[in-house]
Amino acid sequence: MNELRDFILVAKTILRRNFLVNYSNKWTTLANNLGNPILFLFAFGYGLGAIIDEMGDVPYIAFVVPGMIAYATMFTSSFEATIGAFSRFQFLRTWDAALATPVRLHQLLMAEIVWGALKGVFAGFCVLLVGAAVGGIVIFSKLWLLLPICLLASACFMACGLVATAYARWYDSFSYFFTFWVSPMFMFCGVFFSVDRFPEWLQWVSFFLPMTPFIGMIRPLTTGLPIDWSLMAIQGFYLVALTVFAFWVAHRKIKKRMFD
Amino acid sequence: MTQTIISAKGLQKTFGTFKAVRGLDFDIEAGTCVGLLGPNGAGKTTTMRMLMGLSGITGGELTVLGKTPEDLTRTEKSQIGLVPQMDNLDTDVSVTENLEIYGRFYDVSWEELAVRVPQLLDFMQLSDKAHARVNQLSGGMKRRLVIARALISNPDIVFLDEPTTGLDPQVRVLIWKQILSLKAQGKTLLLTTHYMDEAQRLCDRIIIIDEGQVLDDDTPKNLIKKHVSGHVVEVPKAELSTFKTYDADSEDIGNAVLLYVDKIEPYAAQIKNHPGTFYRPANLEDVFLRLTGRSLREGA
Repeated sequence: MNELRDFILVAKTILRRNFLVNYSNKWTTLANNLGNPILFLFAFGYGLGAIIDEMGDVPYIAFVVPGMIAYATMFTSSFEATIGAFSRFQFLRTWDAALATPVRLHQLLMAEIVWGALKGVFAGFCVLLVGAAVGGIVIFSKLWLLLPICLLASACFMACGLVATAYARWYDSFSYFFTFWVSPMFMFCGVFFSVDRFPEWLQWVSFFLPMTPFIGMIRPLTTGLPIDWSLMAIQGFYLVALTVFAFWVAHRKIKKRMFD
Repeated sequence: MTQTIISAKGLQKTFGTFKAVRGLDFDIEAGTCVGLLGPNGAGKTTTMRMLMGLSGITGGELTVLGKTPEDLTRTEKSQIGLVPQMDNLDTDVSVTENLEIYGRFYDVSWEELAVRVPQLLDFMQLSDKAHARVNQLSGGMKRRLVIARALISNPDIVFLDEPTTGLDPQVRVLIWKQILSLKAQGKTLLLTTHYMDEAQRLCDRIIIIDEGQVLDDDTPKNLIKKHVSGHVVEVPKAELSTFKTYDADSEDIGNAVLLYVDKIEPYAAQIKNHPGTFYRPANLEDVFLRLTGRSLREGA
């Protein structure tokens, strides 16, 4: 009980701190969160949309909007867990300052995950607005389910990003993370086209990347395609398991780095 | 009977193969101000970090308030404040917000913070900077803010790691004054410094460490008495052949010889006749240099 109470205190404080910092950049954040999907949809709508009418039994625009929502969520939380968190860890040393108080490392990292997950969801929500405006949302009745799924997936990307932060020597190290983790999830997990177009071995790779179950879960929600609830439960469970595992690895390594 | 609240026994810390702290023994009593002195790389900061639970212990024992630092409860940990050597303020938020965020980590209530934040800003003479961003502050202001931040939970124990390094004399004097006022409030203070005048002025007791070991541990007065007598006579080597040393305790410092003497009278006449020779009362700096040697550290 005390543990929960302490965690809520730490999380509220860190959310407030990160919100204060981000609020001063609110116009930049908003311009990027809205501008990026507009540019993407414009390019792909006119570029690919002109040659592809339908994909996965829905109009291409309806296919690509949930992909873009997932991409914005994934990119935002991955960025926050790496560049953002690493700055507080090694550059500003605000983690060091926090740990000199009664705050414990696992509470701090969990609070960072909550923060990044919310930020990721916000980015996804901005794409949803743009997507709805251009007619990319076929049905609205199941949108409420987007929130918990995006939160979970975003937390998963945060935990995975923290693993990279735990092992990163300096900012340069994150080029590996972006090239071999973020980019493959952008290209091979069904953002712009169905995964089944790839050779089988690549489908296996994408099968294990968290972006694939994430998109698999949200695409039926906006396109109105039939939902396979048991598949969704398995996908959700996979994201939970990966989050827990990644958090354990990240916490272990960061603890070693700070305390040993 | 004073109560021991910090105790180290054979305390060790190893980073890979480097032994930063190799067997420290010391006790700190409640309400005293203790100085931890030593050359760069002596293990001062590592010791401070271990005391805060920010660094694990490799060997030996360390207790703060009767417990290993990592085992301290939330309430116990709130009794300890740290002024780290490096200013790790949150540069993206204001001065007041820095104190508020830190205070909330300690679970200081918002009502309490509304009272305490202005008090601490006043204590550190930062009131007119309350709403400034941290990156607009000068080095001295940042340092004062770090000290104010360490006091936000009204701790009984404060660790100060080089609180005045790199600051101008005005700021140093202010910080000294406020450290003395913390001492007068009965707080237990442990501070590291490279300024011997600072240590002599503020500390009841001084622990001199080097290469991760305690060289001596006593009051400033006793340290001077023990290691360097009352006066130092510096005789250039060119004048040494005609200078009578009376077999005084001496140290070769290269171009001159230092004589540590109790009474200056037997030498007074000679000092007048030898223009390159001078004398001064012995101070802590002499003790420090004598104990830790005169060679440069860290390959500098």
